[in-house]
Parts: sequence; structure tokens; C-alpha cells
Amino acid sequence: MDSERFSTLRKGLLEFLILGIVSSGRVYVADMMQRLSGTDFATQEGTLYPLLSKMRREQLLDYEWQESETGPPRKYYKLAATGRKHLAEFREYWKSLTSLIDELGKPSCKQ
Amino acid sequence: MQTVIQVSLSGHSKAFQLEENAYRSLQAYLERARARLKRDPDHEEVLRDLEQSIGEKLGQSLRPENRVISRKEIDVVLDEVGAVNTGNGDAADTTPLGRPRRLCRIEEGKWFFGVCQGLAAYSGIGVDWVRSIFVIVSVFTGGLPVLIYLVLMFVLPVVRTYDEYNASLHTPSSAL
Repeated sequence: MDSERFSTLRKGLLEFLILGIVSSGRVYVADMMQRLSGTDFATQEGTLYPLLSKMRREQLLDYEWQESETGPPRKYYKLAATGRKHLAEFREYWKSLTSLIDELGKPSCKQ
Repeated sequence: MQTVIQVSLSGHSKAFQLEENAYRSLQAYLERARARLKRDPDHEEVLRDLEQSIGEKLGQSLRPENRVISRKEIDVVLDEVGAVNTGNGDAADTTPLGRPRRLCRIEEGKWFFGVCQGLAAYSGIGVDWVRSIFVIVSVFTGGLPVLIYLVLMFVLPVVRTYDEYNASLHTPSSAL
């Protein structure tokens, strides 16, 4: 029920989670989905490919082709310089948000 | 007798053998994907990515390798891949590319012979509205729409589902 309520929030966060996953090295789409499966951010190719192509246009990500033993060559995604910067900014911002959320509503002691 | 359609999917050198129904299902999925991606400047590339993923998933479950793929099997794969979601607001995403031009009877969700379903798909008005209008006009005109219904019932071609109806309006793109 709650997870339904936060769906808009999650939609906006997915992009940063992808940046996080890709920051670990070169990643194939199936690995991204594997990493997110079982979390609230579990996703499918139908959502992921359009997002990845948008992120590549924004120069957050890049990819290179790599031969595969079992099928056609695969795209392996990696972080671009702008993406690395975005991820660092996002992590900072997220920290400031969580401390803000923790602080809100607490009675202020010093008056 | 069974019709088998050979389909080549992006990146895959081997063609896949699909039952006719399975082919229709795949075609409908790709048409919907294309419609939803129409504003994506890289839509051709995303479609190729999706085709390649579908091919990989099909390949994993294919034993022996050139077995014919059924509708059920392809639907499982398409479910796994999931509908294209561009995150630009759902209302805009689900707008069809253009309204279909052909009037048919549609069996999916029909009450009698699917004429109202066909009119609904053709006009873009909800089927409940079409049926309500039908009943109201019948009451006021002494059953004229019933007569029209009977005529349309004989004249119109039949399709089974909405997907098939939509797919029939586009030309196949992946058939060899």
C-alpha cells in the first residue's frame, strides 16, 4: 500500500540508482535488472531502455559493444564524466534531504 | 495445418519460427512500443534494444533451437520485457498514433456479435457509451439501431482482439 504511495518518488529516483549501479564498472542491462530485482525498484526492459537512451543523450552514460558467447553483441554501459558528477551531487543532496526530513517535526530544544 | 512465420529480431543472426498467433502478439507489442516512443529521438535504437532482448529471452527457452514458438511462450517473454514506459506521463504515452480507419467486429469483450466493440475501437468512444447510446436511440426510434446492428453484423469483417485490430492497421515490419 505504502509502496504504491511512493511510486512517483521512485520514478524520479530510478535514474540515480542506475547511475549508482553503473558506477561500479561496465554493466549489461540484465545485470542492472538483476541488481534491482527484489527491491522496490525492480524494473523491466520496457522501462529501462528508454531511460538509458535518454541518459545517454544527456551524456550521463555511455556504452560500448562487447561480443557475447551466447548471442549477439551486447551493450555494456559505463558512467560518463557528467554522470559521475551528477551521482556525486545526488548523494550529497540525498544526505541533506534525509537530515532535513529527520529534523522536521522535532521540537527545537534551543530557544 | 499450421502457419509458421519466420521472424528476424535485431542483432540475432538466426531467424525465429513463430506460430501465426505468436507473430501477431509480437507485432502488436512492437507497434505499441513504437507508438509510445514516437517522441523519443532514439526510438529506432530503443526498438532494436527491445527486439534484441526479446530474442535473447526466446533463445534461452528454445530447446531444440529451431522449434516453433507458441503464442503463450512469446506472451511470457513480452510480459517479462514489459510495456514501454517513457516516463513522460501515462496519458500522453497511451495516445494511439492515429485512429484506425477500418470498421470491424471485435470479439474481445463482446456481448452479442462485437459490433459495439468495433464501433468503440473505430470511434475512440468507450464501449459503454456506445452501448448506452445504442439503447437510448433504440428506445426513441423504435429499434432502428437494432436493424443497423443486424446489417453490420453481416457486413463487417471480424477480428478477435483489440491488439489484433490495431496490428491489422499497420504493415508488418519484421516478417522475412
